Amino acid sequence: MHEYSLACEIFETVIAIADQNKASAVNSITLEIGRLTHVNPDQLLFCLDVLSGDSIAEGAKVNVNFVSPYGECECGYREDTGVPDNACCDDQQSLYEYALMTCPVCGKLLQLVGGNELIIQTIDIDI
Amino acid sequence: MLMHVVNVNKDVMKANNELAHSNKKLLIKNRVFAMNIMGAIGSGKTTLIEEAINALKDRYRIAVIAGDVVAEMDASRFEKLGVRTVAANTGRECHLDAKLVERSMENIDLEDTDILFIENVGNLICPVDYKLGENVRVVVVSVSEGDDTVLKHPMIFRTSDLAIVNKVDISEAVSADPSKMKADIEKLNPSIPVLLTSRNDRISIDRWIEYIESYLE
Repeated sequence: MHEYSLACEIFETVIAIADQNKASAVNSITLEIGRLTHVNPDQLLFCLDVLSGDSIAEGAKVNVNFVSPYGECECGYREDTGVPDNACCDDQQSLYEYALMTCPVCGKLLQLVGGNELIIQTIDIDI
Repeated sequence: MLMHVVNVNKDVMKANNELAHSNKKLLIKNRVFAMNIMGAIGSGKTTLIEEAINALKDRYRIAVIAGDVVAEMDASRFEKLGVRTVAANTGRECHLDAKLVERSMENIDLEDTDILFIENVGNLICPVDYKLGENVRVVVVSVSEGDDTVLKHPMIFRTSDLAIVNKVDISEAVSADPSKMKADIEKLNPSIPVLLTSRNDRISIDRWIEYIESYLE
């Protein structure tokens, strides 16, 4: 269950930063999740919600921005392989589709660069 | 009350990658060749490592980190072969991470080690995101998992350096086609070497050992 441990790490970081800023409440957390990471966003959000209960982050809204990998080919082709970043979880391409993407110029299998992130971008707090 | 947006910009995954990098530096400094052996429960990781230990232990100094959720069964199998073994229990986690490997390596005399086998927790998904500092990533898939297993778990085959299709001697009994599995692996990662192995076929096991030796010359 690696969403739980990732959620713990996110939660601890959020609370530490909120404390440093003497916050009374955390209103929202914005995350960036790479589309190639093996993280199920729904499970991650559920774990975060459970962990936040009875803390200053209770009920905080979690916004997720997805980051697509770049496809690179030895012929020099380079392009974002993604769907629009405002797409919801259900619109995500499967890992299988990414893994089999080929270069539109020469037809070779694309090398995928990036898309492995799990970034806590910002938190919105009350001071 | 004041609303305030704090820029955090912390990559949770990056912390593991940085630790993996320092593990790698430590391994290089001590001239240790480390292999991360990944694969599902029952794919045959332990047996393949045992075979390698038996074939190589007279010529090389070997240590093993045996990753498991709770038990120490695999670790005791390696200990019986007379090699330094550290059981790395993840507790509830589905993968080894760089921190656990760093801690396990504290219990191994790296100066007295040529090869370090790291047997990951049985799983084709979570280990993908966690680099450990290894030199080579090996994915083991057995025919008994079904010959559609490769395409169902594409990223582990994209990110590995060697793929092993194991237990090919029972393919017929489990209605699996090992050549389809090999072709699927090559479709996902055209440059990856693929070995078809069975513990009952000595030649195939020798190929696995030759692969390891090719890094040690």
